[in-house]
Parts: sequence; structure tokens; C-alpha cells
Amino acid sequence: MAISSVSLMTPTQVVNGTNKLNTTPYEAQQSFANSLKEAIAKVNDQQITSDNLTQKLITGEDVELHEVMIASQKASITLNATIEVRNKVIEAYQEIMRMSV
Amino acid sequence: MSIFHGMNTTASALTAQRLRMDVISSNMANVDTTRGKQVNGEWEPYRRKSVTFSAQEGRFSNFLNVAIGKNAKAGVGNGVKVSQIKEDTETPFKLVYDPTHPDANADGYVSMPNVDPLKEMVDLMSATRSYEANITVLNANKSMLTKALEIGK
Repeated sequence: MAISSVSLMTPTQVVNGTNKLNTTPYEAQQSFANSLKEAIAKVNDQQITSDNLTQKLITGEDVELHEVMIASQKASITLNATIEVRNKVIEAYQEIMRMSV
Repeated sequence: MSIFHGMNTTASALTAQRLRMDVISSNMANVDTTRGKQVNGEWEPYRRKSVTFSAQEGRFSNFLNVAIGKNAKAGVGNGVKVSQIKEDTETPFKLVYDPTHPDANADGYVSMPNVDPLKEMVDLMSATRSYEANITVLNANKSMLTKALEIGK
């Protein structure tokens, strides 16, 4: 099919493998901070969506009940995933702090 | 987010079954309605409505996402949608003899809607069960994700 030829230039392939060694610690920190910020913003988006849908439901707007429930479940799962990631990070930090010098 | 793909698919099914339920409610409510709509100045009884489902596939956005490699799940569908709400024009209206009825014809017969309460009850049960089945799918989906969060505990 003609469409499949587009997949030859996947954007991720172009970015990968370029100046990986040239990043300074500051840049690495910045990019880490940014991706963390983005991830948390996405989790927050789910919470806001759930909030908005609940608000719409109780004010009598045209929202299906299961949509509200599913949104709240999605928010709960994403938040739990975030908590798991945080636990892992804290665990790693504490492991390093326990290191005897 | 692609981890919620299954949930979104199930959500579309739930919405579709809710709409089906609404249509069944309308049929049941109008089981004795002799004035459904006006055709050429004459009142016609209510016609039974039924929903038609179609798979949500073959949309441009799906093909594009697969083509640029954003969505690896090429063969996985995107759920269901209600393609149309069709009026039943095949089944004839039931004729009931009631000369005192304002909508009776010259011979004293009133044409009643072509809604069969028995069929509607079966449809109703089917819709309820489908809804429940989809809820089960959703819960299984959720428990799978929560189980995944327990990896390494």
C-alpha cells in the first residue's frame, strides 16, 4: 500500500543517536526536569478531566455516567503509576545515601 | 494514551449500549402511540426504531498513526459506534377494532404501532447484558494495569 512508505522516515529514528556524548550535566538535568514536568502535567490533566466530568455530571449536563467513572479510574491508575515511579526514585536515592564512604 | 486504548474501546461500547437502551425505552414508551408523526396531513402511528452498530475502523487518523509509527496496534480496532437509528418500515401496523377511538378509520379500525413488547424485552435484556459484559472487560483491563504496577514489589 502507498501509505506504508511514509513509515520509512519515523521522526524518532532521526533524533536518536545524535550528540549523545556532548550533553553537559546542566543540559541533562534540564532535560530530565522537563520530561518529569511534562509527565506530571499529563497526570494532572487526567485529574482535571475527571474533575470536569464530575462537575458536568452533577450540574446536569449531557455526560454519560460511565464516562465519568472511566475518567476517574484513568486518573487513579495514572496517579498510582506516578506514585510507583516516585517510590522507585526514593528507593534508589536512599540506597545511594546508605552507601558507606 | 495507548495504555488506555482498551478502556476507550470499552467506553465506546458502553455509550453505544446506552443509546440502544434509550431507543428501546422510546419504543416501549410509545407502544400505544397512534400519533407518531404526520404524513401528508394524516397521523401515522409510532414506528419501531432500532439501532445499527458499525465498527470504528478505517478512519484516516488510524491509518496515519500506523504509517508514522505512533500506533503499533495496526489491527486493533477502535471500538464501536452507532451508525444509524432506523425506523422499522417492514413490519405492518397492528389493526385494532375500536370505533370510539379518535384515530379510527372509516371501518372503525385503529392502526397501532408495530412495536412488539416481547421483542423489546429481549432487546432490553441483550442491551443490559452487553453493558455488563463490557463493564467486566473494563474491570479486567483495570486490574491488569493495577497488577502491572505491582511488578517488583
